[in-house]
Amino acid sequence: MSVSPVSTGKTKAAQSLNPALFCCDNLHKSFGGVQAVRDISLSIPRGVVFAIIGPNGAGKSTLLNLMSGIYQPDAGRMNFDGVDLVGLPAHQRVRLGFGRTFQKIRLFKQLSVLDNVIAGFHIHHDIPAWQYITHGAGFQRDRAHCHEEALKLLSFVGLDGRESVPAASLAYGEQRMLELARALAVSPRLLMIDEPAAGLNAAEVERLFERIQLLRGRGLTIIVVEHNMDLVMKVADRVLVMNYGQYLFEGSPAEVQANPAVITAYLGA
Amino acid sequence: MLAVSLDFILGYAGQLNLGHSAFYGIGAYVSTLLVMQLGVPFWFAFILGIVLSGMSGMALSLFAVRLRGHYLAIASLGFAVIVHQVLLNWISLTQGPLGIYAIKPPPSIFVPGLPIIEFTNSINLYYLISGFAFFSYLLLDKLVRSPIGETLTAIREDEVSASSLGINCTLWKVFAFGIGSAIAGAAGAFYAGFVGTLVPDAFIITESFTILAMVIVGGIGTLIGPVLGAILLTILPELLRGFGDFRLVLYGLALTLVVLFMPGGIVQAARLLCVKFRQLLNVSEAARGL
Repeated sequence: MSVSPVSTGKTKAAQSLNPALFCCDNLHKSFGGVQAVRDISLSIPRGVVFAIIGPNGAGKSTLLNLMSGIYQPDAGRMNFDGVDLVGLPAHQRVRLGFGRTFQKIRLFKQLSVLDNVIAGFHIHHDIPAWQYITHGAGFQRDRAHCHEEALKLLSFVGLDGRESVPAASLAYGEQRMLELARALAVSPRLLMIDEPAAGLNAAEVERLFERIQLLRGRGLTIIVVEHNMDLVMKVADRVLVMNYGQYLFEGSPAEVQANPAVITAYLGA
Repeated sequence: MLAVSLDFILGYAGQLNLGHSAFYGIGAYVSTLLVMQLGVPFWFAFILGIVLSGMSGMALSLFAVRLRGHYLAIASLGFAVIVHQVLLNWISLTQGPLGIYAIKPPPSIFVPGLPIIEFTNSINLYYLISGFAFFSYLLLDKLVRSPIGETLTAIREDEVSASSLGINCTLWKVFAFGIGSAIAGAAGAFYAGFVGTLVPDAFIITESFTILAMVIVGGIGTLIGPVLGAILLTILPELLRGFGDFRLVLYGLALTLVVLFMPGGIVQAARLLCVKFRQLLNVSEAARGL
């Protein structure tokens, strides 16, 4: 339940065989007549920050929803650490090590800040079934442990002292950070954050940048969909550029900035 | 018991269920028919009644798993109409609108060293039922105060978010429906033994709305609220009896006022009063301090 991902012997063995934690081939998804994602293939190595950028409506969020299992692809394959993902619902992917936040903030608004994070421990509870009713020693231990870990996560994202207020009453930037803390509560190996800097002021973006760096330092693989180019260029190891649902370019931040096709897509031909 | 179990489904898991009267009816008819037609011992029939109404609740929520809010309300309403019609028209089994009469109360309990507890005595039966109601309240209270409560409220607040945390929304909605409808079934089985007669109209859909009103008046999403709501809505019509036919108008008016002015029900109103009272105390203490 700690924030740092637990690496078992098995994952280490897989690591040496296959450097990519997540890969997908020829993903397609359309809504009605609109092809939101067309023929996307990518491979995300372990421990990197992988950014997905592109103009509005380029299919970035749809791609993220395909990866996390909110949508199922019309065609294509996906693989996470050797496990075939196609057909697997979102809640089962979480058990493999997926965690995510949402572009449009989706907190449990009526619950307290602390309870939002504690809800994230759903897959980690260690309570014998009967103790859900008797509330015995194991139950109390689990409760105390969750409480303690949740407070640690809240302090990590800079929400100390706000644990008892309802989530809906937080400022916008704080809500984004709370969503991050909640996603970290599942102890993901692959963290997907959708436009985390949207609506944040400069100081908050700076803090977000530091948090992402810290998480990468702990070995987390992070996919970030973002419009804030300063942040992307600073934080990302690899950048995928999408346009009209299609692959446009993939490379290091410096390569992306220098690529004429990318510049055209952003500035218009 | 009915109000508290509906609140578990509605207030915690957020599933708008208007078919609660059906589970109540299934529990009552199944347990009674097992005793009267097949001669099954009461407590065994009682458990079967609970299991069957719980299973029908789970089946309903499994079929309606894609439905939410108003759509689930309509589906569950439809279910309640179906159950009522079956009870009414399957005359060879349920005797239809004629009803079932002379239902025996639960058999006496023999506890060594104590006098025999007879449930033909309605006061003893009353204590048995109250005891069971208290027991189901405790059970639900423990459940909602455990991580299961957090899981269910997470589903109520946002299903997509909940599934992004690894919560299997289908499984937990079926669980909430199963527990809620099983307790309603238990209430039905006791109702039959208490009243002694069963007619389909006791489980007509308006009964669902009465239970819903108890939950709303008491306070959705608090277990104690529906208990208070149930007491109030049972006593209120009796108090208003002096007004004759006019009492139903007053009853409706009272309900409307509650929904308009205290959407959180009695519990919310009480909490507000507590806060106000505390502020008042603080002010007076501060004044004394000066």
